[in-house]
Amino acid sequence: MTGCRWQHSCQAVKKAGDSPGTFLSGITQASVGCLSVYNNQADRVLVGMASAVTRMLGQISAIASSSGRNHVSARRRRSSNSNINQEEFPCYSVCVARIAIMVMLAILIGLLTLLTWHFTKVYTRTSLNSLAHGLRYELLQRPLLRMWKILNSTVEITTSQVRLSEYVIRKYGKAENQAQEIELYEVMRDVTWALFSSRKALNSMSIKYRNGFVQAFHRDLRDKNTYYIYSNLDNYTMVEPYSMNRSSPHDQGWNDQMIHGNVSAVWYREPLDPDTGRKTGKQKEIPPDELINIAGISQVPDGAASWHVAVSKFTNSPLLSAALPVWDEDRGSIVAVVGVTTALYSVGQLMKELVDLHGGHIYLTSQKGWLLATSSSTPLLRNSSSGPTLTMAEDSQDEIIQSAAKWLNKTYHDKLPLNHEVLSANAILGDQRYYIDSFFLNLTRLPMVGVLCIPRKNIMGKVDAREIKTFIILISASVCILVVGCICIFILTNGVSKEMKLRAELISHLDARRKAEASSNFKSQFLANMSHELRTPMAAVIGLLDILLCDDSLTNEQYATITQIRRCSTALLRLLNNILDISKVESGKLVLEEAEYDLGRELEGLVDMFSVQCKNRNVEAIIDLSDDMPKVVRGDSGRVVQIFANLISNSIKFTTSGYIILRGWCENLNSFSPNENFYVDQRALWSAYQKKIKRNEKKSCKNDNTMILFFEVEDTGCGIDPSKWESVFESFEQADPSTTRLHGGTGLGLCIVRTLVDKMGGEIRVVKKNGSGTLMQLYLLLNTPTDIPRESYRLKFAQHNLKVVLALNGKTSRSILSCWLLKHEVPIWEANEWNELTHVLQELFKPTYTQNLTYEPLEAEFLRKEGAKMAIFIIVIDIGMLNITTDIWKEQLNFLDAINTRAKFAWILNHDTSNTIKIELRRRGHLLMVNGPLYKTKMTHIIEAVIKESSLDQSKKNIMWTDAHATIQIDTTHTKSSNDSEIPETNSVGSSHIEETNQENFAVYGVVSNFFPELTEVGSEWGRVTSFPNDNSNSEQQVDQKVKTGQKDLEGLYILLAEDQPILQRVATMMLEQMGAKVVVVGDGVQAVEALNTQKETRYDLILMDCQMPKMDGYEATKAIRKAETESVSHIPIVALTAHAMSSDEAKCLEVGMDAYLTKPIDCKLMVSTILSLTKCRT
Amino acid sequence: MSSVLQLQRQFIDYTTSLHNEGYLDNQFTELQKLQDESNPDFVTEVVSMYFEDSDKLLNNLTTALQQRNVDYKQVDAHAHQFKGSSSSIGAKRVTNVCAHFKGFCEAKNLDGCLRCLQQVKQEYIFFRNKLEALFRLEQQILQAGGSVPMVE
Repeated sequence: MTGCRWQHSCQAVKKAGDSPGTFLSGITQASVGCLSVYNNQADRVLVGMASAVTRMLGQISAIASSSGRNHVSARRRRSSNSNINQEEFPCYSVCVARIAIMVMLAILIGLLTLLTWHFTKVYTRTSLNSLAHGLRYELLQRPLLRMWKILNSTVEITTSQVRLSEYVIRKYGKAENQAQEIELYEVMRDVTWALFSSRKALNSMSIKYRNGFVQAFHRDLRDKNTYYIYSNLDNYTMVEPYSMNRSSPHDQGWNDQMIHGNVSAVWYREPLDPDTGRKTGKQKEIPPDELINIAGISQVPDGAASWHVAVSKFTNSPLLSAALPVWDEDRGSIVAVVGVTTALYSVGQLMKELVDLHGGHIYLTSQKGWLLATSSSTPLLRNSSSGPTLTMAEDSQDEIIQSAAKWLNKTYHDKLPLNHEVLSANAILGDQRYYIDSFFLNLTRLPMVGVLCIPRKNIMGKVDAREIKTFIILISASVCILVVGCICIFILTNGVSKEMKLRAELISHLDARRKAEASSNFKSQFLANMSHELRTPMAAVIGLLDILLCDDSLTNEQYATITQIRRCSTALLRLLNNILDISKVESGKLVLEEAEYDLGRELEGLVDMFSVQCKNRNVEAIIDLSDDMPKVVRGDSGRVVQIFANLISNSIKFTTSGYIILRGWCENLNSFSPNENFYVDQRALWSAYQKKIKRNEKKSCKNDNTMILFFEVEDTGCGIDPSKWESVFESFEQADPSTTRLHGGTGLGLCIVRTLVDKMGGEIRVVKKNGSGTLMQLYLLLNTPTDIPRESYRLKFAQHNLKVVLALNGKTSRSILSCWLLKHEVPIWEANEWNELTHVLQELFKPTYTQNLTYEPLEAEFLRKEGAKMAIFIIVIDIGMLNITTDIWKEQLNFLDAINTRAKFAWILNHDTSNTIKIELRRRGHLLMVNGPLYKTKMTHIIEAVIKESSLDQSKKNIMWTDAHATIQIDTTHTKSSNDSEIPETNSVGSSHIEETNQENFAVYGVVSNFFPELTEVGSEWGRVTSFPNDNSNSEQQVDQKVKTGQKDLEGLYILLAEDQPILQRVATMMLEQMGAKVVVVGDGVQAVEALNTQKETRYDLILMDCQMPKMDGYEATKAIRKAETESVSHIPIVALTAHAMSSDEAKCLEVGMDAYLTKPIDCKLMVSTILSLTKCRT
Repeated sequence: MSSVLQLQRQFIDYTTSLHNEGYLDNQFTELQKLQDESNPDFVTEVVSMYFEDSDKLLNNLTTALQQRNVDYKQVDAHAHQFKGSSSSIGAKRVTNVCAHFKGFCEAKNLDGCLRCLQQVKQEYIFFRNKLEALFRLEQQILQAGGSVPMVE
């Protein structure tokens, strides 16, 4: 069984595949150890076992770990190739490990069981066997001793009888007569009686004389009587004492002849008192030789003592009879023979007593196999035809004795050991197992064999029973332990296998994730590369198209085609830019710039731009920024504009009618109070924001200048299904795939928006909206610059007594504007269309209207009155109010002319307003024109212009008006336009102050030339519109003055310029010197380093370093300078100048130790601010 | 006076057209702003420097590209220099073509480089002519006693 297990385990191990060979050898060693158990060398076995067990355990752990290692390595190998069978492998190996451990356990427990069982058995058995052997020996020895004693005593008695007889016969042997003879017999009788009575164990004692006379005493063991037996003296003649001649052969015959010849002899028996020997009864005549054996001469044929076992009719046990001759004086002849018989009954009795306790059997046989004594009560004699005879042991009526004798006979046949000693522990007699022991008692003339049969049960029965029980218990216990152990192993390894499975899954997941990430990276990389590669030729295409468009020789058709191509190219480029943006963001390379800009202006410009598109689609584009929006914020203007451009263009795409509103308001981070004035429920967004705030409370609350700017883009388009509200922000996702066909697009826009908003610390989402359309809410965290005071600026329109008529087509924008104006306490009237406007105007100017043409004085009077009141009418008219399709518009203008003198007209132009109308309007004196759409800033400008105009001197006004070209740009993209709106009293910002006043001095009202916002969509360059300043030299002087007084910001700075190109050298030097700085120019990096080293008294405050220079480029030079600086504590700011405009270049510059980064061509303002910030830091 | 005004207007129109057509960008305006009494001829000085430099660079480029084994690195350096100086002067279109030129250089595309060289030359000549015309106009204005208007 064990071998079987080993085989099994070996197979299991082989199954495991690449198991280490050492394991096999370990197993072999272990099995050798096991085998040695069976050599029954207990101590060595124990040691061997212990070592084998330790080795085995070591091997188990080794195989477990090695299989684990194999497993892992195999996994790695596999995972690189394929994922097939990945799940099967761990199960398999766990199975193998489990089986191996179980087998080990089984073997261990089995061995332990066997050992325990074996030792229990062996030791008990050995000790018991020796005990049993002693017992058996003792048991056998005692009857033999008894027998020996009996024999001895018989011999003694016989000898003493012989001696006494010899003495008596000698004394009375010379009997001459009958009387003397009788006397002899009497004496002999007494002597014999004395001896006989002294030995109770004797059965009989007889003396036979030569003459045939017999005297005998006999104890009948059955009736406990003692008899005296004698023959009749009458028959014996007194014969001459015969000479016994030993040499004469015929002498020997007398005894038998005499006995047989004296058949007629009469024998008598008289009962005696067993104690006294006196006669107790009458003598009775008995047939001779019937009762007892009378030893005759025939029994002592050679005159020596003889022994034999006899039987008698009166006892059922064999008798031991001994006979000795009685010699005469000269020992010449035998005069009598003495015979003594002893019953062996007592031996049997003893044996019975002995074995009674043990339940066994003992018997004694003669050497021939005749039974002499047994422990059983079965008769030893058999009645045969010739009287009772002894029985052979094989024929004993006791089955056990019989079968034992047969067993002995069968086992040993004739080849009995010489001394008849047999010790057998395992003879099966009947259906029981017996111990059989035989001993040989070598008595002279009567050798005897004693056999002892003891049932094994009686001695070893309990041991045997225990042995089996122990074995069963051991086996069952070990089986239990095995089962429990196996279950434990199973449970334990189950966990392990689960863990391994999980680990395998984890690994595969990790692999999958890595792959996915890699592929995603590849995708982004690919997209980025592709779009970058595509962008370059696209830029070239567009550039070439631009060149082509400049060509005057093109036909109209060609021109149109090229324009179309250019538009398509632009669209394509925009798409590429989007993709590039996405991949930039995904690869984390998007770096937000941090620069100050006017958010409001950017957004207004954006709306201006989109309004053209909206106008074409009959959609209103409205911007509604609250007054508390910060004018200047820090951030990446391009990206912010990109966000809104995407959102608005998206809205336009899906809106066919209605309006698109961009709302914006602001909350300071530290003073938020829900503002109910806004249309939108902002609480949802706000709560989301607050959650975020809580998370990074510490970070954001420290910075007081962080503003939360909330924005909404609302449209009245088809809307987005609520289930798609989240997914629209994912890449290449559109709310409704079918719209792709209709509207085109890639679905990248919103994705870019979300990533950008996230990047700016904000959040965007779609919000439920009343009515159709989409409402996007977002907020951005933007910093406001610290040095610009963020005072809440309030327009003070109310004190100017303004009255405004809004005649606008767009309902929504009109209502927003009117709300806003009402808030500022400006009374307004609204008109939706021409008729309504006329109605309103008639209402307002009733007196004038009726007396319009006829009553000039009245009009003048009215004017005076109005003037006194200082009431100013502003009539804002959308050009769309005029009916342009026919000539009616001229009449409409005529109508308006009537009130021109009393009200200021501000015309809202469309991008497609024809030149004739504009010329006509100008001709009629309507000089205040703005491009649509109208929003608050423009409205403010209009109002301010009107206020200024009315406050200016009349004569000057006239001059201005005559100059057709005296125009002012209400330039929405102008740098200071937001500040323009501030009235001078409130303007306290120093640097812009002069420019402000300058502009106001020479800039007069006129046509706004911003008719067509140039939508150069390549890049983020917005249409830059030039203004036409007045031609007086005054302005130029003032500009100079401005530069000199206001911007000598770099006064006293000592700057080292490292630049190889003479032009740039010249330009930069010029710029810097105008700012008041002193410039030293060097041509390359080597010179720059030298210049720094040789500086003596004057120290350079800053270095402007071109990156690409001969000999030593800017990076190297910077490294060298920084290296030199490590010795001293000084740190000279270095600003990089480079023509590369990538963020990575900036990173490279900063990496080598530069402090800032400027791109070529040099932007003067940026340069100055950079230099100032660096030098300021330093001081 | 009227002729001065007319000339001034013409000057402004011309400058605007140059801007609109992409020949010039604000960098040129910046340069103009830098000109003051202390450096009355700053713009002309810089522009003439640019012309000299450009002539030299174009020659260098032409010779470099005529070599049997074109040293693209050198060509690229020249193109880069040309681009830098052009952008400093505000010659937008020249700058753009230079950027393409650089792209071809990096790609080691000889055909593209030669094509670009032609374009650059062409653009440069355009630019030069236009600028010279502008300067002529400026001179006329100055001769007529007016001041050169500022174009923003």
